[in-house]
Amino acid sequence: MSPPVLSDLGYVPPDGGWGWVVVFGASISIGFAYTFPKAFTIYFKELQAVYSISYSQIAWTTSIMCATTYGGGPISSILVNRYGSRPVVMFGGLLCGVGMISAAFCTSILQLYICVGFITGFGLALNLQPSVIIIGRYFLKRRPIANGLAMAGSPVMLCTLAPLNQFLFDNFGWRGSFLILGAILLNCCVAGALFRPIGAATASVKTQVTEEGKNCLKGKITEDALEMSSPTSVPMENKTEEEGGKDCCEKINQYLDFSLFKHRGFLIYLIGNVLMFLGFFAPIVFLAPYAKHTGIDEYSAAFLLSILAIVDMVARPTTGIIANSKWVRPRIQYFFSFSIAFNGTCHLLCPLASSYTGLVVYSGFYGLAFGMVCAMLFETLMDLVGASRFTSAVGLVTIAECCTILLGPPIGGTLIDTFGDYKYMFIKCGAVMVLAGTFLFIMNYYNYRMLAKEEKERKAKEEDPKSVRTENEGRNNWNKDTTEVGPELEPLREEQGVKKEMNGTNEV
Amino acid sequence: MPATFSRRRLEWLLLLLCISLSGGSPTDPVMTTQDASQSQVNPLTKVQARLNESSGPDPTTQDLKQPSKETMSNGSFVQSEILLPGASGTPLERIITLANATTVELSCKLDTNSHLKSPQVTWKRGNETISHTSKTESSWSIRLAVVDNSKMGSYSCILKGEEEISGVFHLQVPKIEARGKFVISYERDAAVLLCKSGATPMAWTWYMISGSKQIVINASLQADKYLIDRVSANVTHLRILKITKEDAGVYCCEATFELGKATLEIELKVLSIMAPLKPFLAVVAEVVILLTTIILYEVYSKRKEKCTVLIKENMSNKPEVDLRF
Repeated sequence: MSPPVLSDLGYVPPDGGWGWVVVFGASISIGFAYTFPKAFTIYFKELQAVYSISYSQIAWTTSIMCATTYGGGPISSILVNRYGSRPVVMFGGLLCGVGMISAAFCTSILQLYICVGFITGFGLALNLQPSVIIIGRYFLKRRPIANGLAMAGSPVMLCTLAPLNQFLFDNFGWRGSFLILGAILLNCCVAGALFRPIGAATASVKTQVTEEGKNCLKGKITEDALEMSSPTSVPMENKTEEEGGKDCCEKINQYLDFSLFKHRGFLIYLIGNVLMFLGFFAPIVFLAPYAKHTGIDEYSAAFLLSILAIVDMVARPTTGIIANSKWVRPRIQYFFSFSIAFNGTCHLLCPLASSYTGLVVYSGFYGLAFGMVCAMLFETLMDLVGASRFTSAVGLVTIAECCTILLGPPIGGTLIDTFGDYKYMFIKCGAVMVLAGTFLFIMNYYNYRMLAKEEKERKAKEEDPKSVRTENEGRNNWNKDTTEVGPELEPLREEQGVKKEMNGTNEV
Repeated sequence: MPATFSRRRLEWLLLLLCISLSGGSPTDPVMTTQDASQSQVNPLTKVQARLNESSGPDPTTQDLKQPSKETMSNGSFVQSEILLPGASGTPLERIITLANATTVELSCKLDTNSHLKSPQVTWKRGNETISHTSKTESSWSIRLAVVDNSKMGSYSCILKGEEEISGVFHLQVPKIEARGKFVISYERDAAVLLCKSGATPMAWTWYMISGSKQIVINASLQADKYLIDRVSANVTHLRILKITKEDAGVYCCEATFELGKATLEIELKVLSIMAPLKPFLAVVAEVVILLTTIILYEVYSKRKEKCTVLIKENMSNKPEVDLRF
């Protein structure tokens, strides 16, 4: 679904131009945020020996880092709502760098928890959310492609960061590596600098300029100026009215939109995703040990994971392109639930694959499914709540997912320990994901129908010939309204309007 | 498929994927190469080594019951058998790790499917022939009381029939493992050298090798410099404090068992603070340059935009409206 362009964002996103540079920056930022905890595990053995601690104690470092990255979501959202994406990402990059540089001088494990766990984790949180948010600001028609490309940064960064970490460790030891990694993380600041602010103010200036230029030739300057300024000025009028009667809830909602919890689409997404993450990461964690358990040697087991990573890298942009096609885009929620269920089915079928070839096939399909889900993770949320409320939505969603993400692998591990067999872990993961996929499918079907119904009601109101003022009010009610417009109808209608605006805004 | 990759590339891949996404610590590339090359000779020692790894990524893998056809000498009796001629590809060698005094029975058994009939069997250790302890129609064994180092070595049973087939048993002390071939540390920092054995040694000794001489490290004499820690029964730590450039070199840890000694060499490299500082400053410089370029480009393009706005205004010849924010 694409929300009506003008009423949701207040401007027409460029869908290209500088947007592709932003996608590149976002992929770097997202890549660091997702892969840094995983690449950090290379230092575990050394740190265990240096500080004389057990494996679980050192593993706390990455657990704290992951927890802070996801748990810091709401704070990230509040800051983006207040200051915009660019300053937040640059500050986040600086924080990451400072965290790792100070970690190079640590003398106890507690200091390591703080420097690497909290400070770097929080910096990564300030990197992750704003990067995803800014894509929604720059893209609308090509948003799935942009999302797919940005999320593809994660496997690419993993492939570079992992060998780089090993190289640094072999040449500089762990302290030197932390120092250099701190500098490398400062590159997030560079990625952040690319996130040029875009919003109603800057975009409408351009539209006004070009409209002015066009209309002055026809000599309709005064009327057209009034017409162009009305959509932007009337919302401001309403805003001042609002501010007079604001209570504290409204103020909080300005920073972090808790009214999202009344949003039907948001709740569906939240419940479905929280359920999905219980079984999402565990199979990756246990794939190599499972392969070794079935008697495969270490190199081949490692090769399985590389197949997964390569397929993942290719699957993400491809999914973005597919999701952007005109058949899938209006029904993107179904595509998302299908990919989750597909993922779950792969896990359910995994225990049947006992030979190496079977596991290779499983890895390939798992990589494909993993990439599909990841590419559409944020696109579907944007689709449900709209780009303007996405800022708060992503923060609330990540903090809710935080718990299940961290619980998933330990639960899988407990199952393996109790039963002594990997198949129960795969069955659990598969079952949970199929359940999540089915839930999302059914609930989104219901949601689409409700949206279509509401769209019909809105159209009936619009056709009421009472006054233009009512129409304006109705349009402005959209701005504050929690429900969004029906998916099937809007893109086709707006397409023509958008095309006219496109030429004007595609300057940078 | 994996066989078509070069070894080095496989090592990178192994590293990449052992650490990627598994949330666990990687196995050292050096050790895995050793493991892989040994796998032809003794798949069972590898199984044991994996089980003994206490810092593995998932503790769950250790709990899984792995069949171990070969036993360590925890008890006082060890039995080992080689099937001859065996299926093609099966190793005709066994490595038996012994730490304490044990009675060992080695047997060579004739495969019932084999075409060899009543071969002549000799047991040898080097050039010395050993007489059978027990003999049946299809199996020949010797029993040894291994009480000291002199009895360790390689024992082979040679079957002479139409063709000569032999099976070899290697009696060895447990090997020592370390985190890597070298450890990197910095001046004024502390370093930890770690040695882990497969069995519990009677004693651990650390040496520093300078030139061809071995200097014993006596922790009690230099308590502010060296600290030897027996972290667990099988693991020893050598902690070197206040490192200086003179401390760089090769260190050797030696595990003393009843039946012999095992040694391993680890190199300590000492770097100064300047070493990582150069790449660090290079990366910071790169970041600063990129940031400056991006900001300058943005300022330049904004100015260009303003210019075009002004030009358009002048050209359209209409009352001035201040559209610039």
